[in-house]
Amino acid sequence: MSKLTEDLTYDYLSAEAAPTREERIEATYAFGGSCTGLKQGMGQGCTKYNSRKFAQGGGCQLSLALGIVRSFQNVVVVIHGPLGCASNNLGVAGYSKTFRVLKHKPVTDNIWLHTNLDENDVIAGGIDKLREAILYAEQEYRPDAIVVGNSCVPGIIGDDIDSLIDELDGQLSARVVPVHCEGFKSKFVATGYDSAYHGVLKKLVDPIKKYDRTAPEDVDGATADAAERYLHSKTVNLLNVGSTSYGDEVELSRLLKALGLNVRVMPLYASIEEISRIGEAALNISICATHDDYLIGHLKERFGTEYVIDTLPIGIKNTNQWLRVIAKFFKLEDEVEKLIAIENEQLEAALEPFKKVLKGKTVFVGGGETRIFTTAEFYQSLGMKVLGLKPHNFDRFAVPMIDDIDDQEAVIDVAPGQPSEELVVLNRLRPDLYVGHTGANAWVTKLGIPTTPLFGQSFNYMGYSGAFELARKAVRRLQNTAFTKKIGANVALPFRPEWYESNPFDNIKEAQQG
Amino acid sequence: MGTFIERAKSTCALGGAIVTISSLPRAIPIVHASGGCATMLAGTYSQASGYKGSGYCSGHMTPTSNVVEKDIVFGGEERLEEQITHTIKIIDGDLYFVVTGCQVEIIGDDAVGVTRRFKDGKYPVLAANTPGFIGNGFKGYDVVLSTLAAEFIEPKAIKAEKTVNILGIMPGQDVFFRGNIKGIQRLLKKLGIKANTFFGDGETIEKIRNYGDAALTIVFSDKYGIDTAKVFEEKHNIPYITVDLPIGETRTEAFLYKIGKQLGIEPAAINELIAEEKREYYSYLERFLDIYSDIDLQRYAIVSADINYAFSLTSFLADDLGWVPHLVVINEEVDDISKKKYELKFNQLTSEAKPKVIFEQHAGQLLNHIRKSWKHNTNEKYYDALSPAFLVGSSLEGSTAQKIGAAFLPVSFPVTNRAVLNKGYTGYLGGLSLAEDLFSALVSNR
Repeated sequence: MSKLTEDLTYDYLSAEAAPTREERIEATYAFGGSCTGLKQGMGQGCTKYNSRKFAQGGGCQLSLALGIVRSFQNVVVVIHGPLGCASNNLGVAGYSKTFRVLKHKPVTDNIWLHTNLDENDVIAGGIDKLREAILYAEQEYRPDAIVVGNSCVPGIIGDDIDSLIDELDGQLSARVVPVHCEGFKSKFVATGYDSAYHGVLKKLVDPIKKYDRTAPEDVDGATADAAERYLHSKTVNLLNVGSTSYGDEVELSRLLKALGLNVRVMPLYASIEEISRIGEAALNISICATHDDYLIGHLKERFGTEYVIDTLPIGIKNTNQWLRVIAKFFKLEDEVEKLIAIENEQLEAALEPFKKVLKGKTVFVGGGETRIFTTAEFYQSLGMKVLGLKPHNFDRFAVPMIDDIDDQEAVIDVAPGQPSEELVVLNRLRPDLYVGHTGANAWVTKLGIPTTPLFGQSFNYMGYSGAFELARKAVRRLQNTAFTKKIGANVALPFRPEWYESNPFDNIKEAQQG
Repeated sequence: MGTFIERAKSTCALGGAIVTISSLPRAIPIVHASGGCATMLAGTYSQASGYKGSGYCSGHMTPTSNVVEKDIVFGGEERLEEQITHTIKIIDGDLYFVVTGCQVEIIGDDAVGVTRRFKDGKYPVLAANTPGFIGNGFKGYDVVLSTLAAEFIEPKAIKAEKTVNILGIMPGQDVFFRGNIKGIQRLLKKLGIKANTFFGDGETIEKIRNYGDAALTIVFSDKYGIDTAKVFEEKHNIPYITVDLPIGETRTEAFLYKIGKQLGIEPAAINELIAEEKREYYSYLERFLDIYSDIDLQRYAIVSADINYAFSLTSFLADDLGWVPHLVVINEEVDDISKKKYELKFNQLTSEAKPKVIFEQHAGQLLNHIRKSWKHNTNEKYYDALSPAFLVGSSLEGSTAQKIGAAFLPVSFPVTNRAVLNKGYTGYLGGLSLAEDLFSALVSNR
């Protein structure tokens, strides 16, 4: 369905765990240079095995995987590992609750258990504790699903969680889902998404009950269930990600509904029943390839469900492009052009006052690859100059997006986290605005550079209304930078002076395996 | 033999070690573990401890070896050495401290051995084994401070009579740690006592190096910091005492008398300080009198907290505010003897009612314990309900408070629905702050 996924296959479910992204797609995790350099490097594949002399925390697959599954309604998550693994649950429990409120879902607490592996378990194995924990989860909470997340320790000592889950299958009212994500297995934290979906696809997704795949052109005449069949032929899954706000979901649904489509937003924050029926759709629509190609690629192979995986609908150009690809599938080319024309005209008029403020200002964007390129492209379209980008990792899904950056000599630092490299670059470039992923913005503020978050739970970023909000937000941000200036002048970053003078990309070891 | 735990209110030993190191002045943690541990564990305390943030070098800034499968198979010591070398070059710190995760401990990497290669360098490099499977966060706190006491702090033959080391208030795990330390420091200063705090304002690594001259260690805990206090005792010949976190009048008075006796301070001086503090304390507490009495703000108190806060909070609510202590649930594991000893503390409470004290590791069991603690309403015409009630706990207890119709204030870790900067609850002033927060929770909907 998409050039981005050409030659990829998804027949992995017979394996216990999803393959790593190192194995599955060409990707890089360490690169420093220009847009042009990255494009050429990706072409030659010499970026593939880079690593670092000085490293900072890159993120944990388990944490990302649980980010998906803990959002499901009425689930209990069992973390098979010591207490620290995914202990950030303590920090995000309230955040998830707020998301549930904002998304109009039942407001329930996140429930999780740790098998609390200790020294004895490292020697004797922890399967018995895992069994107890699963049974406790069932008895105390009667969840629809119990998700077992596997950490480094059971991975190394060889606990066989799948056998236990097979043993419990059918004995519990909850479905038990294994999620394998030992942190040391992959440098690409996005592998955690594949781990989560591997388990979801294995245990939660049911065969299609009512119709096989229904394409709009197949529906004809006045058969008894024609109306339902018609609805089915227009039903799409809008696949949300951890960073989509309710505002984003409303805006994207509004646009798809304007094309006459019946929209189901999932899988995040969906119920297990909704997820079990994910196969019953005419089309799967991705908004972030990094997040869900594994899921929709598999659904295509298993149920024949077509998918759209193209761009992230942030900014005008990319929202237009996203809608066109979807419309093409439903043969709604004329309709979509009408919609785009109306929306673009209204939005362009609304953006005029903001453009006057932003014209000539400079911006640097860091975070997930597709999100930062589309956000940068949008700010560029408002007259800002993109000085640089920092994707957490870089792979085939974002390669075409490089061309959208006007200045092909703009800096790219491919780095999960790694503020040490990014801050040296920023200290030289001194952009007027930094747009960054959670965890990065505080450090940039200490340089005295104003920041705005790349995503957030109560803010709309996607679609046309999201574009308006992005512009509005940048203008507001630049209206008062007093706090940033004061922090920059008074709070120190932990670097030696020589580090600011050095070439931060000397830190990257090129093409060394592992 | 441990058990599984529902919603443990802690991270692991490595998490505790990272938050401890990064709360020391200009100390740099170097995490020898897989890619996720450093950021994720630092993030736990950064967020869930009243948004205390990453500080000087934590969170995403944390240096880490990020070992991968290859290192697990072939060993990660070379990678660690490379990481230490470059960390010293890039990160500006006064102390570098290597701590280890589960993966490298299982394969047997010798992190302590690797750091010995740096012993003649310009900067001190220490190491400790802190895999998550050896215990929860407090364990990491004790391992790090014990290592400092044993290997970094210089032995001093002569002790400064009026200098004490302060332990037991763990950064992050105590959401108000800086304010709490400040509150204690302030009182001690009034008695002419200098406090070595590790994490308080104005500390430096150089000062910490000289903590060996203290005459006494005060551990504000029955659990956290005891191992470190023992190292100070054995290695530096500094005796220790344990005291309860002094929150409000009753507990602060007890604390002052205890250390006064220990340090040989004239009782008159202690009495004078208490009288002075109390005058101020009651001149402010007086402000609540009208509203407390006019709308009856006495409450049944339910406390769900860690072992440091549980008794001190309950004592403040019962002994200072005159609330009825009903139930205390401590989400922590201690041995049976310590449990018994801890339970006996509650006999000191001045209220007629004594609370039921339960040690329960599963945070989610609070609601069940509350229900068990009070007779059900079997549709009686006249039913004596557990109402009005107030639940003081962590942010995880918010929905339980709602279910039982109690007012609610999160104080004990994790706290995600409050932002904490310099606030502390220790001393008389801290008691006022806590009273302010409790009563604000009761009138916040007006």
